[in-house]
Amino acid sequence: MKTWKLMITAIALMTALQAQTPSGHEIMMKVYDRPTGKTIQSNLTMTLTNSRGDVRERTIKQFLKDFGTEEKKVMYFTAPADIRNTAFMNWSYTDGSDDDQWIYLPALKKVKRIASDSKSDYFMGSDFTYDDLGDRHPDADTHRLLREESLQGEACYVVESISKDEDYMYSRTVTWIIKDKWIDLKKEFYDEDEDHLKTLNIRKYEEVAGYWTIPDMEMHNIQKDHRTRMLMKNIVIDEGISDNMFTQRMMQRGVND
Amino acid sequence: MTKILRQMLKHPLIIILTTLIMSLFFFWQMKSNVRMETDLDEYMPKNHPAFIYSDEAEAIYNIKDGIIFAIEAEESIYTTETLDKIKSLSKTLMNMEEIEKADVTSLYSADNIVGTDGSLEVNAFYRKAPKSEEKLAELRQSVENNEMVHGRLVSEDGRTALIIARINDDVFNDAFYQSLLSLAEEFKGPEKIHIAGSPIVEGTLANLMPRDMAKMVPLVIAVIFAVLLLLLRRFTGSLLILLSVLFASIWTFGLMGLLGIPVYSVSTMIPVMLIAIGVAYGIHLLNKYQLIRSENPQMDKKEAVFAMIDAMTSPVSMAAVTTMVGFMSLLTSQVYPIKYFGLFTAFGVLVELILSLLFISAGILLFEKDRRSANNDASPVPNEEKQNSELLKRFNEGLASHRPWVLILSLFIVGLSVWGSSKIWINSSFLDKFEKDSDIVLTDAFINTHFGGTSTLNVILEGDDAVMKSPEALKAMAEMQAAVESENGLVGSSFSLADYLKRMNKVMHEDRVEYERIPDDPELIAQYLLLYEMSGDPENLWKVVDYNYAGANITFQLKSDNSKALEAAMSSVNSFESRLADLGIQLNYAGSGYKAYVFTDLILEGQVKSLALSVLIVIVLLALMFRSLYIGLMGSIPILLTSIVSFGIMGSLDIPLSTTTALISSIAVGIGIDYAVHFISTFRENRKGNTDLSLVSLRTMQSSGRAILFNALVVIAGFLVLLASVFPPNRTLGALISLNMAVSFIGTMTLLYVLLRHYYENRKG
Repeated sequence: MKTWKLMITAIALMTALQAQTPSGHEIMMKVYDRPTGKTIQSNLTMTLTNSRGDVRERTIKQFLKDFGTEEKKVMYFTAPADIRNTAFMNWSYTDGSDDDQWIYLPALKKVKRIASDSKSDYFMGSDFTYDDLGDRHPDADTHRLLREESLQGEACYVVESISKDEDYMYSRTVTWIIKDKWIDLKKEFYDEDEDHLKTLNIRKYEEVAGYWTIPDMEMHNIQKDHRTRMLMKNIVIDEGISDNMFTQRMMQRGVND
Repeated sequence: MTKILRQMLKHPLIIILTTLIMSLFFFWQMKSNVRMETDLDEYMPKNHPAFIYSDEAEAIYNIKDGIIFAIEAEESIYTTETLDKIKSLSKTLMNMEEIEKADVTSLYSADNIVGTDGSLEVNAFYRKAPKSEEKLAELRQSVENNEMVHGRLVSEDGRTALIIARINDDVFNDAFYQSLLSLAEEFKGPEKIHIAGSPIVEGTLANLMPRDMAKMVPLVIAVIFAVLLLLLRRFTGSLLILLSVLFASIWTFGLMGLLGIPVYSVSTMIPVMLIAIGVAYGIHLLNKYQLIRSENPQMDKKEAVFAMIDAMTSPVSMAAVTTMVGFMSLLTSQVYPIKYFGLFTAFGVLVELILSLLFISAGILLFEKDRRSANNDASPVPNEEKQNSELLKRFNEGLASHRPWVLILSLFIVGLSVWGSSKIWINSSFLDKFEKDSDIVLTDAFINTHFGGTSTLNVILEGDDAVMKSPEALKAMAEMQAAVESENGLVGSSFSLADYLKRMNKVMHEDRVEYERIPDDPELIAQYLLLYEMSGDPENLWKVVDYNYAGANITFQLKSDNSKALEAAMSSVNSFESRLADLGIQLNYAGSGYKAYVFTDLILEGQVKSLALSVLIVIVLLALMFRSLYIGLMGSIPILLTSIVSFGIMGSLDIPLSTTTALISSIAVGIGIDYAVHFISTFRENRKGNTDLSLVSLRTMQSSGRAILFNALVVIAGFLVLLASVFPPNRTLGALISLNMAVSFIGTMTLLYVLLRHYYENRKG
């Protein structure tokens, strides 16, 4: 995977050198390829708010490791108490095959496989789909640079992306990308009927161990007026995580924090 | 007052023209400004706790009324074509402007919770309709394995599938209704497509009732006119009476338009009241006029009219004012349409009073032929008169000499009626308003035999955060569902958070039936729920439980929207109240069926209260007018008798009270007051300088009694026409109004008469 990524980056860099303004696709590739570290661990607080202002909060300890052709992620719920130690593991593959997912329910004392049939599924009842969380490859869409403008004091590219697959849940998305840093600052999602569905706002980004990370973001589903805020704390990058961490046995054992 | 009237009547043409111009103005107001209010929610008192609660619960759990499309295949719905049809009809509905995508439920859109290799999946049953026999059989198998869908969205015999489109209650209008009907037309063949559900029932009702009324009202008016002609034998007089009544209705609706007050379905009762009451005023006047002419053949027309005004202004005004106050007592109702009904009927009565005194008098002055001789008069020929008098005399004396019997019989009837009233019940059902063999009832019955039921009752539970995740609460829910279903034949199915957990527990245990129950471990429940959220769209979960698991919504499907069915189900539900209370959970109800039930109850309560209040007011007013408490009490007899007998007969004949039938008792107020006031005042008038009470009675019967009889006959004949209506509630309306008129008449002529005569005999003695 690494060589592949590098090649693409090289091509992108070359084209970038040829023209002053990068194309929409080039911009999206740069975002996709922005290095994020080989291993990441953090404490995630996911806050869900419905249209009536009711709030639900879940805290999760998560570990992620890039194995080259696959990326493995494991999450342990730490609160609320009745789902404590429930664990979720996801392996995604760069060759585009379906993710493998497992869940460990402490009350059943069993690891169960979950069949994920679509990347368009919402992630744990949140407003994020798996795609929204960064899995979607830029080649799945056609991109067009709409304009350059400043947003929240940052110079941004504004790129419109339209899915090549007509049945995709979004008819198009519009992304504001901070120049040079290649971070999404804001993203608007439009549904099949071209109606505005969701807006993603990056509330904070910071450099950790030399990588740009996004510790605070919020997705707002405008049609349902439902919000998901993802807040990450104690982010640790590239300090190494054992391969054993990403096993069913480990899921059953749980992590103590 | 009579002086002013005399003064005004010097210019009859101006009066006629002014009346016509005013009527034209109000007619134009009515045409251009009146709007029908069909949204039933607009009828409900917004600040009533039951409605506030229900509206809140409806918002939390997205409770809406559903339009049901039933697709009935010839053999089985598991064919590529029929499944395609279910898909495309579902998608068409989803894309309709009036319907939100997520509110369409069908086999195409439903979630299939399954377990494969010990894992949990939430899938669609199909995206594209399967083509091969093998895949179709597979789909059938997965439906039949899923108790959350089997028997709910697909009938157990596999021949019928439902598509349920839930709508907000403000989107239903005639255009939308028509587009749904044409959709059903478009998609039918070879499958049959039926449409049902409460919005459709209400829509059909809102369509049918005014249309039937529009057909029947001209007939009613024609019959009233014909009977008036027959009895009064005067064309001009009959026409004047009819016009005054119609103008009063036009003025009333015109004023509603002018003030921007919408017409509610109960407002259709306003003209009914105005016709029944207003005809009486005109008849009293004309009857008096004829009497004066026949008794004083030498008098000219103008003198006779003025004499009529002198004699009648006071009793007609008394009757009208008392009636108005009686209707105004409906302002105490909590329901706005009823308040408006009372207020505007009172206004209409005022208009009728004015028009009777001015317009009818002016009309007589202008158009009536000035016949001096009684021989030319078309009024009853003397011979006939004599015969009638003889008959009346015998009736009179017969009654007077059998006073105890009149009292005993009356008491017996009252007793019987009270017993009958005890059996009276309120029905908020919409379906019961249709013919038993009408399409809408048959469709409903068809869906009810194959599915849980077309009517919905929502039970709302409320407790502390997360209590709904506890095994105790979930078990109580599941047991409540089982108990309500087994105790009530009309409850076909139910749905709650407990069903999700039973399904998930089963699926996570290799589909073993013994695991189709609520787990005992609260953590397992929480983890299942998390798993469900991770596996699919949790949106459906928020229809059965709230965000913090502090509240839950249990939906019961009923095969009838009849209030008795609703009450029976609620009493089964209520037996769980204390068990839930032990868990800190409160139990309440929500949904449109429940609201209609509470609403009808409110109307009845208001009706009974205002009836009592108006009886009280009538007693006080009459006591003041006639300066005797005893007369005041007697004056309330026709009202009391009429309403008690009316309720008694409804109870005995199992005619339930509904929003409209409850209002019919108002007619007892209007007519009862009128009869009492006229009878009493004529009796008193005749008694002046006359000590022979039997002669006084006879003359009272001849004048007032005749007018009362005519009024009763005219209105009874007119409203009996409604018996030919195709719409059952209108038939009931016709029968009940005729009954009320008859009872008012008989009560006045017998009980009131006997008591009045008794009173004066004793006073004399």
